Amino acid sequence: MIKYLTLELRRSLRDRRYLLLVAGWPVAAYLLFSTVFGSAADRSEGLAPTVAIMVAMATFGAMGGVLMASGPRLAMDRQLGWLRQLRLTPLAPARILTARLIAAMALSLPAIGLTFIAAVLVKGVTLPLWEWPVLVVLIAAGCLPFAAMGILVGTIADGDGAQGLTMVLYLVLAALGGLWMPVQIVPSALQTVAKTLPSYHLAQLGWHVAQGVAPALGDVLVLLAWFAGAALLAVAASRRLTLRTA
Amino acid sequence: MTSHPSATGIRTPGLVRSDAAGECAVRVQGVTRRFGPVLAVDNLSLTVEQGRTVALLGPNGAGKTTTISMLLGLSAPDAGSIEIFGSAPGSATAHASVGAMLQDGGMMPGVLVGELLAMVRSLYATPLALHEAVEIAQLGGLEKRRVDRLSGGQSQRLRLAMALIGDPRLLVLDEPTAAMDVETRRGFWHAMEGFTERGRTILFSTHYLEEADVTADRIVMMARGRVVADGTPSAIKDSVGLRVIRFSIATPGIAGIDALPGAVSATAHGSRVELRCKDSDAALRALLAARPDAYDIEVAGVALEDAFITITDGIAA
Repeated sequence: MIKYLTLELRRSLRDRRYLLLVAGWPVAAYLLFSTVFGSAADRSEGLAPTVAIMVAMATFGAMGGVLMASGPRLAMDRQLGWLRQLRLTPLAPARILTARLIAAMALSLPAIGLTFIAAVLVKGVTLPLWEWPVLVVLIAAGCLPFAAMGILVGTIADGDGAQGLTMVLYLVLAALGGLWMPVQIVPSALQTVAKTLPSYHLAQLGWHVAQGVAPALGDVLVLLAWFAGAALLAVAASRRLTLRTA
Repeated sequence: MTSHPSATGIRTPGLVRSDAAGECAVRVQGVTRRFGPVLAVDNLSLTVEQGRTVALLGPNGAGKTTTISMLLGLSAPDAGSIEIFGSAPGSATAHASVGAMLQDGGMMPGVLVGELLAMVRSLYATPLALHEAVEIAQLGGLEKRRVDRLSGGQSQRLRLAMALIGDPRLLVLDEPTAAMDVETRRGFWHAMEGFTERGRTILFSTHYLEEADVTADRIVMMARGRVVADGTPSAIKDSVGLRVIRFSIATPGIAGIDALPGAVSATAHGSRVELRCKDSDAALRALLAARPDAYDIEVAGVALEDAFITITDGIAA
């Protein structure tokens, strides 16, 4: 499984255009938002806007990298017949899935890293040293529900459909989850929606750490619930698919 | 033609060949598979002994691919049972001992040929050396090529290398040479010889009788989801009657004509008679002697598709 995982990762690294997109977008968005709103007073997260937006954009980019690396890629591999071919090898389906989840989650790292670097170099953001690695690990690990959602999308949709669906999912989760603007400024109905979304809770985890506060258990539980839900649906969908086409 | 004479070595469809040669590579019993209203595989039974090269021969839609996909555990039969070296298809043991080339098998995009082969190789307990697989599949010099930048023929060779690299006891090939020209096809089967020489079993599907004839030591002929003939290539060729003599007769009646030497079956449409032959030369000589009233005689080959249909109709009747 390690060799397969390595190969999945190598394949990602070789796709420069994709890397540029998933890491470039949040960095550009960070520079834009932090310049426009950077002079404003502290956001209600109790953080300087340059820091709050940095966490939000790192989360945004991480989520995008993971969603893209799981959903559309799974759909493509399915269409190409690669999954069928892989199923003929002794590699167990559970291991194939695990490797794909890990490989997808690794694709959160370029966006997190580059957004942080841009924040430090361009906006002069400083945080206690220990907070940086904690933020990276927390945001990356918190992308687990997005990896599962991607697998679900890649199982039920084909090629272009999976691409489109992933994009919609990505933008909805980002916008409604308060990654582009603080949820405090949107109508209360939308705030209620935001508080059900994994994107909102993942950003909350990051903001807490940036404030030097322990992450709330509630945020973790919501993320786990989303992961479990998406994973169960993905398993059910792939069962149905196997029964129908195989 | 209504039955296969036992003298030709053809067995009746549905009977399982006895397993005298030790452990069976493949054992299929009473397997049925439907796709909606279509009966793709109809009560199929088939046993393949180890060390044999068996061709699954049949026209498109005969159920060859469906059968293969069930053998590989990619699809489950609606009824019946399948064993691969005594284990269930798709089980870990089956996967470890079977290598397969699918018609629609794709490759992981974005990686190099050598990387992909090395990864797949690492999944098996006793694989071939990388260079061995590359050599057999004639992939030399392509190890650094990206798999999504291979030509059709090169992709097919990569599929073969993937199937071989685990050094499987059974190799299942679904129309492996469908996209190949004559030269490439010859090279392919030459490469396969090295594999069978080590006592490995090959089961492959094809719709070319000539290919099955040259490469297999047993042909299982399928049509409409059933085995319609099963035997050595020469027995199969005899039974399908691959030559036909057409002639007209002045006095009606064709009784006894199909019993002429070299003849297989006869049908009459008015005064025109069609005589299927395994040996058209012998049949023609005998015909001229037996029926001096025959005229407008022509001898022609029969397309394999027609032969299949004749056999299937014979079984269905």
